[in-house]
Amino acid sequence: MSTMTKTTSAEDKKMLNKIFLRSFSVFASCAGGSVKGGADGWLYSIQPALNRYYKDDPEKLADAMRRHTTWYNITQNVGTFAMGLVASMEHENSEHDDFDTESIDGIKVSLMGPMSGIGDAIFWGVLRVIAAGIGINLAMSGSPLGAIMFLLIYNIPSILCRYFMTYLGFQMGTNFISQLYEGGLMKLITKATSTVGLVMIGAMTAANVSFNTILSIPVQDADPIMVQTYLDSIFKGIIPLGLTLFCLWLLKKNVNVNWILVGVMVAALIMGFVGIV
Amino acid sequence: MIGLACMAWLTVVICYGGNWLLGQCMIERPLVVGLIAGILMGDVKTGVVIGASLEAIFMGSVNIGGAISAEPVTATALAVAFTVGAGIDQGASITLAVPVGVVTAFASIFLNNIVLALFTASFDKLAAEGNERGLAVQHYVLWFLKYALFGLIAFLGVYLGAEPVAAIVDQIPANVMAGLNAVGALLPAVGMALLLKMLWSKELAVYFFLGFVLYIYLGMPMIAIAVIGVVFAVIQALRDKELFDLEHKGVAVVAAGSDKSDEEDFFA
Repeated sequence: MSTMTKTTSAEDKKMLNKIFLRSFSVFASCAGGSVKGGADGWLYSIQPALNRYYKDDPEKLADAMRRHTTWYNITQNVGTFAMGLVASMEHENSEHDDFDTESIDGIKVSLMGPMSGIGDAIFWGVLRVIAAGIGINLAMSGSPLGAIMFLLIYNIPSILCRYFMTYLGFQMGTNFISQLYEGGLMKLITKATSTVGLVMIGAMTAANVSFNTILSIPVQDADPIMVQTYLDSIFKGIIPLGLTLFCLWLLKKNVNVNWILVGVMVAALIMGFVGIV
Repeated sequence: MIGLACMAWLTVVICYGGNWLLGQCMIERPLVVGLIAGILMGDVKTGVVIGASLEAIFMGSVNIGGAISAEPVTATALAVAFTVGAGIDQGASITLAVPVGVVTAFASIFLNNIVLALFTASFDKLAAEGNERGLAVQHYVLWFLKYALFGLIAFLGVYLGAEPVAAIVDQIPANVMAGLNAVGALLPAVGMALLLKMLWSKELAVYFFLGFVLYIYLGMPMIAIAVIGVVFAVIQALRDKELFDLEHKGVAVVAAGSDKSDEEDFFA
Protein backbone atom coordinates (compact mmCIF):
# COMPACT_ATOMS: atom_id res chain seq x y z
CA MET A 1 0.00 0.00 0.00
CA SER A 2 2.82 2.40 0.83
CA THR A 3 4.37 2.08 -2.61
CA MET A 4 1.03 3.06 -4.04
CA THR A 5 0.83 6.39 -2.25
CA LYS A 6 4.42 7.21 -3.23
CA THR A 7 3.70 7.26 -6.94
CA THR A 8 1.17 10.08 -6.66
CA SER A 9 2.37 13.67 -6.94
CA ALA A 10 2.10 16.14 -4.08
CA GLU A 11 -0.80 17.86 -5.78
CA ASP A 12 -2.62 14.55 -6.30
CA LYS A 13 -2.13 13.75 -2.64
CA LYS A 14 -3.52 17.10 -1.57
CA MET A 15 -6.62 16.53 -3.65
CA LEU A 16 -7.12 12.91 -2.58
CA ASN A 17 -6.73 13.78 1.08
CA LYS A 18 -9.40 16.45 0.69
CA ILE A 19 -11.72 13.91 -0.94
CA PHE A 20 -10.98 11.45 1.86
CA LEU A 21 -11.86 14.01 4.56
CA ARG A 22 -14.98 15.28 2.82
CA SER A 23 -16.22 11.72 2.23
CA PHE A 24 -16.97 11.31 5.95
CA SER A 25 -20.07 13.48 5.52
CA VAL A 26 -21.17 11.84 2.27
CA PHE A 27 -24.56 10.76 3.63
CA ALA A 28 -24.98 13.62 6.13
CA SER A 29 -27.77 15.49 4.39
CA CYS A 30 -29.07 13.39 1.48
CA ALA A 31 -30.87 16.34 -0.13
CA GLY A 32 -33.26 14.81 -2.61
CA GLY A 33 -34.12 11.85 -0.42
CA SER A 34 -35.05 8.69 -2.26
CA VAL A 35 -34.62 10.46 -5.62
CA LYS A 36 -30.95 11.25 -5.15
CA GLY A 37 -29.58 8.98 -2.45
CA GLY A 38 -26.30 10.47 -1.30
CA ALA A 39 -25.73 12.48 -4.48
CA ASP A 40 -25.21 15.84 -2.76
CA GLY A 41 -22.61 14.38 -0.38
CA TRP A 42 -20.95 12.65 -3.33
CA LEU A 43 -20.69 15.92 -5.25
CA TYR A 44 -19.42 17.69 -2.13
CA SER A 45 -16.75 14.98 -1.72
CA ILE A 46 -15.39 15.02 -5.28
CA GLN A 47 -15.63 18.82 -5.62
CA PRO A 48 -11.87 19.25 -4.95
CA ALA A 49 -11.17 17.15 -8.06
CA LEU A 50 -13.63 19.09 -10.23
CA ASN A 51 -12.26 22.42 -9.01
CA ARG A 52 -8.71 21.32 -9.77
CA TYR A 53 -9.27 19.95 -13.27
CA TYR A 54 -11.77 22.55 -14.51
CA LYS A 55 -10.37 25.61 -12.79
CA ASP A 56 -9.92 27.49 -16.08
CA ASP A 57 -13.29 26.61 -17.52
CA PRO A 58 -16.31 27.58 -15.39
CA GLU A 59 -18.70 26.26 -18.02
CA LYS A 60 -17.17 22.78 -18.00
CA LEU A 61 -17.08 22.91 -14.21
CA ALA A 62 -20.80 23.62 -13.99
CA ASP A 63 -21.43 20.87 -16.54
CA ALA A 64 -19.43 18.39 -14.45
CA MET A 65 -21.29 19.38 -11.31
CA ARG A 66 -24.61 18.91 -13.08
CA ARG A 67 -23.50 15.46 -14.25
CA HIS A 68 -22.83 14.39 -10.68
CA THR A 69 -26.31 15.06 -9.33
CA THR A 70 -27.60 11.56 -10.08
CA TRP A 71 -28.46 8.89 -7.48
CA TYR A 72 -25.48 7.63 -5.51
CA ASN A 73 -25.17 4.97 -2.83
CA ILE A 74 -22.14 2.85 -1.92
CA THR A 75 -21.12 1.61 1.54
CA GLN A 76 -19.12 4.61 2.57
CA ASN A 77 -16.00 2.85 3.82
CA VAL A 78 -15.32 1.57 0.30
CA GLY A 79 -17.15 4.27 -1.66
CA THR A 80 -14.01 6.42 -1.75
CA PHE A 81 -12.73 3.95 -4.36
CA ALA A 82 -15.38 5.27 -6.74
CA MET A 83 -14.47 8.85 -5.79
CA GLY A 84 -10.80 8.32 -6.58
CA LEU A 85 -11.66 6.57 -9.81
CA VAL A 86 -14.03 9.31 -10.94
CA ALA A 87 -11.40 11.93 -10.05
CA SER A 88 -8.97 10.22 -12.46
CA MET A 89 -11.66 10.05 -15.15
CA GLU A 90 -12.52 13.74 -14.75
CA HIS A 91 -8.82 14.41 -15.18
CA GLU A 92 -8.90 12.55 -18.52
CA ASN A 93 -12.00 14.43 -19.57
CA SER A 94 -10.44 17.80 -18.79
CA GLU A 95 -7.50 16.99 -21.09
CA HIS A 96 -9.23 15.23 -23.97
CA ASP A 97 -12.05 16.89 -25.85
CA ASP A 98 -13.33 13.61 -27.28
CA PHE A 99 -13.74 11.95 -23.88
CA ASP A 100 -17.17 10.39 -23.44
CA THR A 101 -18.54 11.83 -20.19
CA GLU A 102 -21.29 9.25 -20.12
CA SER A 103 -18.69 6.64 -19.26
CA ILE A 104 -18.05 8.43 -15.96
CA ASP A 105 -21.64 8.02 -14.89
CA GLY A 106 -21.69 4.48 -16.28
CA ILE A 107 -18.69 3.42 -14.20
CA LYS A 108 -20.13 5.04 -11.10
CA VAL A 109 -23.45 3.23 -11.52
CA SER A 110 -21.87 -0.12 -12.30
CA LEU A 111 -19.67 0.08 -9.21
CA MET A 112 -22.55 0.69 -6.80
CA GLY A 113 -23.93 -2.84 -6.68
CA PRO A 114 -20.75 -4.89 -6.35
CA MET A 115 -18.96 -2.41 -4.08
CA SER A 116 -21.91 -2.10 -1.71
CA GLY A 117 -22.18 -5.88 -1.69
CA ILE A 118 -18.57 -6.27 -0.57
CA GLY A 119 -18.74 -3.29 1.78
CA ASP A 120 -21.94 -4.31 3.53
CA ALA A 121 -20.77 -7.88 4.04
CA ILE A 122 -17.32 -7.03 5.35
CA PHE A 123 -18.08 -3.95 7.42
CA TRP A 124 -21.59 -4.58 8.67
CA GLY A 125 -21.85 -8.33 8.46
CA VAL A 126 -18.47 -9.20 9.92
CA LEU A 127 -16.41 -6.38 11.40
CA ARG A 128 -19.32 -4.74 13.22
CA VAL A 129 -20.50 -8.11 14.50
CA ILE A 130 -17.10 -9.01 15.92
CA ALA A 131 -16.74 -5.54 17.47
CA ALA A 132 -20.24 -5.68 18.96
CA GLY A 133 -19.74 -9.20 20.30
CA ILE A 134 -16.68 -8.11 22.23
CA GLY A 135 -18.26 -4.78 23.22
CA ILE A 136 -21.51 -6.27 24.53
CA ASN A 137 -19.61 -8.73 26.69
CA LEU A 138 -17.63 -5.93 28.34
CA ALA A 139 -20.66 -3.63 28.64
CA MET A 140 -22.95 -6.18 30.30
CA SER A 141 -21.12 -5.53 33.58
CA GLY A 142 -21.66 -1.78 33.20
CA SER A 143 -18.20 -0.88 31.92
CA PRO A 144 -17.87 2.04 29.45
CA LEU A 145 -14.94 0.12 27.99
CA GLY A 146 -17.44 -1.98 26.00
CA ALA A 147 -18.56 0.95 23.85
CA ILE A 148 -15.00 2.24 23.50
CA MET A 149 -13.62 -1.15 22.39
CA PHE A 150 -16.52 -1.49 19.97
CA LEU A 151 -15.76 1.89 18.37
CA LEU A 152 -12.02 1.21 18.13
CA ILE A 153 -12.36 -2.28 16.65
CA TYR A 154 -14.84 -1.05 14.06
CA ASN A 155 -13.35 2.31 13.16
CA ILE A 156 -9.62 1.72 12.88
CA PRO A 157 -9.92 -0.72 9.96
CA SER A 158 -12.83 1.27 8.49
CA ILE A 159 -10.93 4.55 8.35
CA LEU A 160 -7.78 2.89 6.99
CA CYS A 161 -9.87 1.24 4.29
CA ARG A 162 -11.57 4.54 3.44
CA TYR A 163 -8.17 6.22 3.08
CA PHE A 164 -6.46 3.61 0.93
CA MET A 165 -9.53 3.09 -1.23
CA THR A 166 -9.35 6.78 -2.25
CA TYR A 167 -5.81 6.28 -3.55
CA LEU A 168 -6.51 2.83 -4.97
CA GLY A 169 -9.45 4.11 -7.00
CA PHE A 170 -7.40 6.98 -8.37
CA GLN A 171 -4.64 4.69 -9.56
CA MET A 172 -6.11 1.31 -10.29
CA GLY A 173 -8.58 2.31 -12.93
CA THR A 174 -11.74 0.60 -13.95
CA ASN A 175 -10.50 -2.93 -14.55
CA PHE A 176 -9.70 -3.61 -10.95
CA ILE A 177 -13.07 -4.73 -9.62
CA SER A 178 -13.95 -6.80 -12.64
CA GLN A 179 -10.56 -8.50 -12.45
CA LEU A 180 -11.19 -9.41 -8.82
CA TYR A 181 -14.52 -10.89 -9.78
CA GLU A 182 -13.35 -12.75 -12.87
CA GLY A 183 -10.34 -14.14 -11.02
CA GLY A 184 -12.68 -15.59 -8.41
CA LEU A 185 -10.60 -13.99 -5.65
CA MET A 186 -13.57 -11.99 -4.47
CA LYS A 187 -15.46 -15.20 -3.81
CA LEU A 188 -12.57 -16.43 -1.72
CA ILE A 189 -12.47 -13.29 0.39
CA THR A 190 -16.24 -13.28 0.88
CA LYS A 191 -16.18 -16.92 1.96
CA ALA A 192 -13.41 -16.38 4.51
CA THR A 193 -15.05 -13.32 6.04
CA SER A 194 -18.44 -15.07 6.15
CA THR A 195 -16.87 -17.94 8.08
CA VAL A 196 -15.63 -15.64 10.82
CA GLY A 197 -18.96 -13.82 10.82
CA LEU A 198 -20.95 -17.02 11.28
CA VAL A 199 -18.78 -18.22 14.15
CA MET A 200 -19.32 -14.87 15.87
CA ILE A 201 -23.07 -14.86 15.29
CA GLY A 202 -23.21 -18.36 16.77
CA ALA A 203 -21.35 -17.22 19.87
CA MET A 204 -23.50 -14.12 20.18
CA THR A 205 -26.70 -16.11 19.85
CA ALA A 206 -25.51 -18.22 22.76
CA ALA A 207 -24.54 -15.14 24.77
CA ASN A 208 -27.57 -12.95 24.13
CA VAL A 209 -30.64 -15.07 23.56
CA SER A 210 -31.75 -16.76 26.74
CA PHE A 211 -34.69 -18.78 27.97
CA ASN A 212 -35.42 -20.14 31.41
CA THR A 213 -38.64 -21.90 32.31
CA ILE A 214 -39.89 -22.17 35.90
CA LEU A 215 -42.13 -25.13 35.03
CA SER A 216 -41.63 -28.17 37.22
CA ILE A 217 -43.13 -31.63 37.47
CA PRO A 218 -44.16 -32.50 41.05
CA VAL A 219 -42.91 -35.88 42.31
CA GLN A 220 -44.31 -37.65 45.35
CA ASP A 221 -41.94 -37.62 48.35
CA ALA A 222 -39.13 -35.99 46.37
CA ASP A 223 -37.97 -32.68 44.98
CA PRO A 224 -39.94 -31.62 41.90
CA ILE A 225 -38.23 -32.16 38.56
CA MET A 226 -37.30 -28.88 36.91
CA VAL A 227 -38.17 -28.88 33.22
CA GLN A 228 -35.25 -26.55 32.52
CA THR A 229 -32.81 -29.20 33.79
CA TYR A 230 -34.29 -31.63 31.28
CA LEU A 231 -33.97 -29.15 28.44
CA ASP A 232 -30.36 -28.47 29.38
CA SER A 233 -29.51 -32.15 29.41
CA ILE A 234 -30.83 -32.55 25.88
CA PHE A 235 -28.82 -29.62 24.56
CA LYS A 236 -27.85 -26.48 26.40
CA GLY A 237 -29.57 -23.47 24.86
CA ILE A 238 -31.88 -25.59 22.73
CA ILE A 239 -34.75 -23.07 22.91
CA PRO A 240 -32.66 -19.98 22.01
CA LEU A 241 -30.99 -21.92 19.19
CA GLY A 242 -34.28 -23.28 17.89
CA LEU A 243 -35.99 -19.90 18.06
CA THR A 244 -33.14 -18.18 16.21
CA LEU A 245 -33.20 -20.76 13.43
CA PHE A 246 -37.00 -20.52 13.27
CA CYS A 247 -36.74 -16.72 12.85
CA LEU A 248 -34.16 -17.27 10.10
CA TRP A 249 -36.50 -19.68 8.38
CA LEU A 250 -39.32 -17.11 8.55
CA LEU A 251 -37.05 -14.39 7.18
CA LYS A 252 -36.07 -16.65 4.30
CA LYS A 253 -39.77 -17.14 3.62
CA ASN A 254 -39.92 -13.34 3.26
CA VAL A 255 -42.01 -12.80 6.37
CA ASN A 256 -41.77 -9.13 7.35
CA VAL A 257 -39.31 -8.68 10.20
CA ASN A 258 -41.75 -6.52 12.16
CA TRP A 259 -44.26 -9.37 12.26
CA ILE A 260 -41.57 -11.67 13.60
CA LEU A 261 -40.71 -9.12 16.29
CA VAL A 262 -44.37 -8.85 17.26
CA GLY A 263 -44.76 -12.63 17.23
CA VAL A 264 -41.82 -13.18 19.58
CA MET A 265 -43.07 -10.45 21.92
CA VAL A 266 -46.58 -11.87 22.08
CA ALA A 267 -45.31 -15.42 22.61
CA ALA A 268 -43.04 -14.32 25.46
CA LEU A 269 -45.83 -12.30 27.12
CA ILE A 270 -48.21 -15.26 26.92
CA MET A 271 -45.58 -17.55 28.44
CA GLY A 272 -45.18 -15.08 31.30
CA PHE A 273 -48.93 -14.80 31.74
CA VAL A 274 -49.54 -18.54 32.03
CA GLY A 275 -46.51 -19.03 34.27
CA ILE A 276 -44.05 -20.78 31.98
CA VAL A 277 -41.27 -18.24 32.54
CA MET B 1 -38.58 16.28 33.41
CA ILE B 2 -37.82 18.97 30.84
CA GLY B 3 -34.09 18.71 31.62
CA LEU B 4 -34.20 14.96 31.05
CA ALA B 5 -36.16 15.48 27.83
CA CYS B 6 -33.50 17.92 26.59
CA MET B 7 -30.81 15.35 27.33
CA ALA B 8 -32.73 12.76 25.31
CA TRP B 9 -32.88 15.25 22.40
CA LEU B 10 -29.16 15.95 22.71
CA THR B 11 -28.39 12.22 22.78
CA VAL B 12 -30.23 11.72 19.49
CA VAL B 13 -28.56 14.70 17.80
CA ILE B 14 -25.07 13.65 18.92
CA CYS B 15 -25.46 9.95 18.17
CA TYR B 16 -27.73 9.86 15.14
CA GLY B 17 -26.55 13.11 13.55
CA GLY B 18 -22.93 12.58 14.51
CA ASN B 19 -22.96 9.09 13.06
CA TRP B 20 -23.76 10.40 9.59
CA LEU B 21 -21.53 13.45 9.81
CA LEU B 22 -18.54 11.33 10.85
CA GLY B 23 -18.60 8.59 8.26
CA GLN B 24 -21.13 6.20 9.85
CA CYS B 25 -18.71 5.55 12.67
CA MET B 26 -21.34 3.50 14.53
CA ILE B 27 -21.95 5.91 17.40
CA GLU B 28 -25.61 5.34 16.52
CA ARG B 29 -25.44 1.79 17.88
CA PRO B 30 -27.25 1.16 21.21
CA LEU B 31 -23.96 0.13 22.80
CA VAL B 32 -22.60 3.65 22.28
CA VAL B 33 -25.93 5.51 22.61
CA GLY B 34 -26.38 3.86 26.02
CA LEU B 35 -23.02 5.17 27.19
CA ILE B 36 -23.63 8.72 25.91
CA ALA B 37 -27.20 8.84 27.28
CA GLY B 38 -25.86 7.50 30.58
CA ILE B 39 -23.23 10.24 30.75
CA LEU B 40 -25.74 12.99 29.87
CA MET B 41 -28.41 11.72 32.25
CA GLY B 42 -26.05 11.02 35.13
CA ASP B 43 -26.02 7.21 35.42
CA VAL B 44 -23.30 5.72 33.24
CA LYS B 45 -23.63 2.16 34.51
CA THR B 46 -27.36 1.85 33.86
CA GLY B 47 -26.95 3.48 30.45
CA VAL B 48 -24.20 1.05 29.45
CA VAL B 49 -26.12 -2.04 30.61
CA ILE B 50 -29.32 -1.00 28.79
CA GLY B 51 -27.25 -0.18 25.72
CA ALA B 52 -25.66 -3.64 25.75
CA SER B 53 -29.04 -5.39 26.00
CA LEU B 54 -30.54 -3.31 23.20
CA GLU B 55 -27.46 -3.81 21.03
CA ALA B 56 -28.12 -7.54 21.05
CA ILE B 57 -31.75 -6.96 20.04
CA PHE B 58 -31.09 -4.36 17.35
CA MET B 59 -27.94 -6.08 16.08
CA GLY B 60 -29.40 -7.00 12.73
CA SER B 61 -30.72 -3.58 11.82
CA VAL B 62 -28.33 -1.31 9.99
CA ASN B 63 -29.29 1.46 7.66
CA ILE B 64 -28.80 -0.15 4.27
CA GLY B 65 -29.58 2.26 1.46
CA GLY B 66 -32.22 4.13 3.45
CA ALA B 67 -34.20 0.97 4.18
CA ILE B 68 -34.15 0.32 7.91
CA SER B 69 -36.19 -2.10 9.97
CA ALA B 70 -35.58 -0.35 13.28
CA GLU B 71 -34.08 2.92 14.46
CA PRO B 72 -32.19 2.17 17.66
CA VAL B 73 -31.09 5.67 18.71
CA THR B 74 -34.42 7.07 19.90
CA ALA B 75 -35.29 3.69 21.40
CA THR B 76 -32.09 3.54 23.46
CA ALA B 77 -32.28 7.19 24.55
CA LEU B 78 -35.87 6.68 25.75
CA ALA B 79 -35.07 3.43 27.56
CA VAL B 80 -32.19 5.04 29.46
CA ALA B 81 -34.28 8.14 30.27
CA PHE B 82 -37.15 6.00 31.54
CA THR B 83 -34.96 3.95 33.83
CA VAL B 84 -32.60 6.68 35.04
CA GLY B 85 -35.08 9.54 35.20
CA ALA B 86 -38.42 7.93 35.93
CA GLY B 87 -37.25 4.88 37.84
CA ILE B 88 -38.91 2.36 35.55
CA ASP B 89 -37.65 -1.21 35.82
CA GLN B 90 -34.80 -1.92 33.39
CA GLY B 91 -36.46 -4.97 31.82
CA ALA B 92 -39.65 -3.02 31.17
CA SER B 93 -37.74 -0.08 29.67
CA ILE B 94 -35.93 -2.39 27.28
CA THR B 95 -39.16 -4.06 26.20
CA LEU B 96 -40.82 -0.67 25.65
CA ALA B 97 -37.86 0.46 23.58
CA VAL B 98 -38.38 -2.18 20.89
CA PRO B 99 -41.73 -0.97 19.48
CA VAL B 100 -40.41 2.60 19.80
CA GLY B 101 -37.51 1.64 17.54
CA VAL B 102 -39.87 0.17 14.97
CA VAL B 103 -42.19 3.20 14.97
CA THR B 104 -39.39 5.78 14.77
CA ALA B 105 -37.93 3.79 11.88
CA PHE B 106 -41.03 4.76 9.92
CA ALA B 107 -40.57 8.38 10.96
CA SER B 108 -36.96 8.19 9.80
CA ILE B 109 -37.89 6.65 6.44
CA PHE B 110 -40.54 9.34 5.95
CA LEU B 111 -38.09 12.11 6.76
CA ASN B 112 -35.21 10.71 4.72
CA ASN B 113 -37.04 9.56 1.62
CA ILE B 114 -40.02 11.86 1.34
CA VAL B 115 -39.36 15.15 3.14
CA LEU B 116 -35.82 15.36 1.80
CA ALA B 117 -37.03 14.62 -1.71
CA LEU B 118 -38.48 18.15 -1.62
CA PHE B 119 -34.92 19.44 -1.90
CA THR B 120 -34.31 17.69 -5.23
CA ALA B 121 -34.99 20.83 -7.24
CA SER B 122 -32.78 23.14 -5.21
CA PHE B 123 -29.93 20.60 -5.34
CA ASP B 124 -30.20 20.29 -9.14
CA LYS B 125 -30.39 24.05 -9.54
CA LEU B 126 -27.38 24.81 -7.34
CA ALA B 127 -25.31 22.17 -9.13
CA ALA B 128 -26.26 23.34 -12.61
CA GLU B 129 -25.24 26.88 -11.61
CA GLY B 130 -21.92 25.56 -10.35
CA ASN B 131 -22.70 27.13 -6.99
CA GLU B 132 -20.24 25.25 -4.81
CA ARG B 133 -20.76 27.40 -1.73
CA GLY B 134 -24.52 27.10 -1.87
CA LEU B 135 -24.25 23.31 -2.12
CA ALA B 136 -21.95 23.11 0.89
CA VAL B 137 -24.24 25.34 2.95
CA GLN B 138 -27.27 23.28 1.99
CA HIS B 139 -25.37 20.09 2.80
CA TYR B 140 -24.57 21.08 6.38
CA VAL B 141 -27.70 23.10 7.19
CA LEU B 142 -29.94 20.24 6.05
CA TRP B 143 -27.87 17.85 8.13
CA PHE B 144 -28.44 19.88 11.29
CA LEU B 145 -32.14 20.55 10.65
CA LYS B 146 -32.83 16.91 9.89
CA TYR B 147 -31.41 15.56 13.14
CA ALA B 148 -32.54 18.48 15.32
CA LEU B 149 -36.06 17.80 14.07
CA PHE B 150 -35.77 14.04 14.50
CA GLY B 151 -34.56 14.48 18.08
CA LEU B 152 -37.92 16.04 18.94
CA ILE B 153 -39.47 12.55 18.95
CA ALA B 154 -37.22 11.56 21.84
CA PHE B 155 -37.83 14.91 23.57
CA LEU B 156 -41.61 14.52 23.43
CA GLY B 157 -41.41 10.85 24.33
CA VAL B 158 -39.63 11.65 27.59
CA TYR B 159 -41.47 14.90 28.32
CA LEU B 160 -44.97 13.53 27.81
CA GLY B 161 -44.42 9.82 28.24
CA ALA B 162 -42.21 9.19 31.25
CA GLU B 163 -44.75 9.85 34.03
CA PRO B 164 -47.75 8.01 32.59
CA VAL B 165 -45.52 5.11 31.56
CA ALA B 166 -44.01 4.94 35.06
CA ALA B 167 -47.51 4.95 36.59
CA ILE B 168 -48.62 2.10 34.34
CA VAL B 169 -45.49 0.04 34.91
CA ASP B 170 -45.97 0.34 38.68
CA GLN B 171 -49.32 -1.43 38.37
CA ILE B 172 -48.02 -4.36 36.32
CA PRO B 173 -48.53 -7.75 38.04
CA ALA B 174 -45.61 -10.12 38.53
CA ASN B 175 -46.43 -12.63 35.79
CA VAL B 176 -46.73 -9.89 33.18
CA MET B 177 -43.43 -8.50 34.39
CA ALA B 178 -41.89 -11.96 33.94
CA GLY B 179 -43.31 -12.01 30.43
CA LEU B 180 -41.79 -8.58 29.71
CA ASN B 181 -38.40 -9.81 30.88
CA ALA B 182 -38.76 -12.91 28.71
CA VAL B 183 -39.42 -10.63 25.74
CA GLY B 184 -36.09 -8.93 26.39
CA ALA B 185 -34.34 -12.29 26.67
CA LEU B 186 -35.83 -13.80 23.50
CA LEU B 187 -35.97 -10.82 21.12
CA PRO B 188 -32.25 -10.89 20.31
CA ALA B 189 -33.09 -14.08 18.38
CA VAL B 190 -34.66 -11.88 15.70
CA GLY B 191 -31.55 -9.67 15.51
CA MET B 192 -29.32 -12.72 15.19
CA ALA B 193 -31.57 -14.21 12.51
CA LEU B 194 -31.32 -10.97 10.49
CA LEU B 195 -27.54 -11.19 10.65
CA LEU B 196 -27.57 -14.88 9.78
CA LYS B 197 -29.69 -14.26 6.71
CA MET B 198 -26.96 -11.97 5.39
CA LEU B 199 -24.20 -14.61 5.64
CA TRP B 200 -25.99 -17.97 5.72
CA SER B 201 -25.07 -20.60 3.13
CA LYS B 202 -25.45 -24.38 3.29
CA GLU B 203 -21.74 -24.85 2.98
CA LEU B 204 -20.80 -22.51 5.84
CA ALA B 205 -23.75 -23.02 8.22
CA VAL B 206 -21.78 -25.41 10.43
CA TYR B 207 -19.62 -22.52 11.63
CA PHE B 208 -22.65 -20.95 13.26
CA PHE B 209 -23.03 -24.05 15.41
CA LEU B 210 -19.31 -24.03 16.19
CA GLY B 211 -19.57 -20.53 17.66
CA PHE B 212 -22.72 -21.42 19.57
CA VAL B 213 -21.18 -24.48 21.22
CA LEU B 214 -17.87 -22.76 21.99
CA TYR B 215 -19.75 -20.16 23.99
CA ILE B 216 -22.51 -22.15 25.64
CA TYR B 217 -20.56 -25.27 26.58
CA LEU B 218 -17.00 -23.99 26.90
CA GLY B 219 -17.86 -20.45 27.99
CA MET B 220 -14.99 -19.00 25.96
CA PRO B 221 -14.56 -15.21 25.75
CA MET B 222 -15.67 -13.55 22.50
CA ILE B 223 -12.17 -12.54 21.47
CA ALA B 224 -10.96 -16.15 21.74
CA ILE B 225 -13.91 -17.33 19.66
CA ALA B 226 -13.10 -14.67 17.07
CA VAL B 227 -9.53 -15.97 16.85
CA ILE B 228 -10.74 -19.55 16.39
CA GLY B 229 -13.04 -18.29 13.62
CA VAL B 230 -10.10 -16.61 11.90
CA VAL B 231 -8.02 -19.80 12.16
CA PHE B 232 -10.75 -21.80 10.42
CA ALA B 233 -11.17 -19.09 7.79
CA VAL B 234 -7.45 -19.05 7.02
CA ILE B 235 -7.20 -22.85 6.77
CA GLN B 236 -10.18 -22.87 4.45
CA ALA B 237 -8.93 -19.96 2.35
CA LEU B 238 -5.52 -21.58 1.86
CA ARG B 239 -7.14 -24.80 0.69
CA ASP B 240 -9.52 -22.94 -1.60
CA LYS B 241 -6.60 -20.98 -3.01
CA GLU B 242 -4.78 -24.21 -3.83
CA LEU B 243 -7.82 -25.66 -5.57
CA PHE B 244 -8.32 -22.37 -7.36
CA ASP B 245 -4.72 -22.29 -8.58
CA LEU B 246 -4.94 -25.88 -9.77
CA GLU B 247 -8.09 -25.17 -11.72
CA HIS B 248 -6.59 -22.04 -13.19
CA LYS B 249 -3.41 -23.73 -14.25
CA GLY B 250 -5.51 -26.37 -15.92
CA VAL B 251 -7.35 -23.70 -17.86
CA ALA B 252 -4.12 -21.94 -18.74
CA VAL B 253 -2.63 -25.16 -20.08
CA VAL B 254 -5.61 -25.87 -22.27
CA ALA B 255 -5.84 -22.31 -23.47
CA ALA B 256 -2.19 -21.58 -24.12
CA GLY B 257 -0.33 -24.84 -23.88
CA SER B 258 2.94 -22.96 -24.18
CA ASP B 259 4.00 -22.54 -20.58
CA LYS B 260 6.20 -25.58 -20.08
CA SER B 261 6.92 -25.24 -16.39
CA ASP B 262 3.26 -24.81 -15.59
CA GLU B 263 2.37 -27.89 -17.50
CA GLU B 264 4.95 -29.97 -15.72
CA ASP B 265 3.77 -28.66 -12.38
CA PHE B 266 0.25 -29.56 -13.14
CA PHE B 267 0.90 -33.11 -14.21
CA ALA B 268 3.50 -33.78 -11.55
